[in-house]
Amino acid sequence: MSELLRDLPGRSLSEKEFEEGKILFNFDELHGNFAWDTGVAVGSYLAGLKRGVILGAHCTTCRKTVVPPRMVCEWCYRPMNEIVVLQDTGTVNTFSICYVTWDVQRIQEAEIPAVIEIDGASPLHGIMHLLGEVDADKVHIGMRVKAVWKPADERQGAITDICYFKPIEEV
Amino acid sequence: MALLERDPEAPLSWEGTMPVTNRYTFGQAGERFFRLLKDEGRIYGSRCDQCNLTYVPATSFCERCLSKLEQWIDVGTQGEVHTFTILATNYDGTPSDVPEIIVLVKLGDGGLIHKLSAVDPEQLCIGMQVEAVIKPDNERTGSILDIEYFRPV
Repeated sequence: MSELLRDLPGRSLSEKEFEEGKILFNFDELHGNFAWDTGVAVGSYLAGLKRGVILGAHCTTCRKTVVPPRMVCEWCYRPMNEIVVLQDTGTVNTFSICYVTWDVQRIQEAEIPAVIEIDGASPLHGIMHLLGEVDADKVHIGMRVKAVWKPADERQGAITDICYFKPIEEV
Repeated sequence: MALLERDPEAPLSWEGTMPVTNRYTFGQAGERFFRLLKDEGRIYGSRCDQCNLTYVPATSFCERCLSKLEQWIDVGTQGEVHTFTILATNYDGTPSDVPEIIVLVKLGDGGLIHKLSAVDPEQLCIGMQVEAVIKPDNERTGSILDIEYFRPV
């Protein structure tokens, strides 16, 4: 069998061969368009971001506040009682320093995604976002941060309405 | 008091797209088949004398006896309609203005699936003799679309 395998004419192709037109091919793309229903809770959250506030949901039975808001309390399974306005400050719960983008391109300046516990939400409840205006070396767990918002007229009801979180100057 | 009302200013949906692209290479025999179509404007088949079969499009091996096929022959541009379908809907689901006729044209012992044009749908029948209309050589790219369409002889 190994003898036969050695004789097979197949081989891998390089990008150069495609560029130079040495290999014929058919290019196609799938149109994977989707529309995801935001629902009541996350819909309100996105509308809140457009207004420049971070919203959470509060359960009076469990005295828990979660962010992003949800319709149902994940502890008691009862409907959440109210949407509450939280602060746009928080504490870094965990973070990562990335020198590659999502499509595996190297970058010189690190992106720092972090989970930020939002002030006003229950302990350990937060959202994932980016940190900015900070040295990658200086980032630490427990660091106090504040949201940097896009100008009001550029906000579109998306998590990217917050540009990033920056450290709060410790006085 | 439960939360049941959606914020009137809330976006109803979040829209996006998944970037999925692909590049399909034709393989050993396919590369040669399309290269010949591009360079010579001819349709080639591969011949198995042992089984008395001509494969179109040309293949590297005989499907029946599995022997390697070295003999490539020009099968011409004429064949007969083996089967057909009439498409009245576009890819996006909208009705099309001009129905498109897709045929399997028998060439050798195989065949090609392609468009049939310049035909009255009333006259369309299985067994109809058709021929390939091949693009001029400066427009050919090495694709099945180097054959513009088939038309009745």
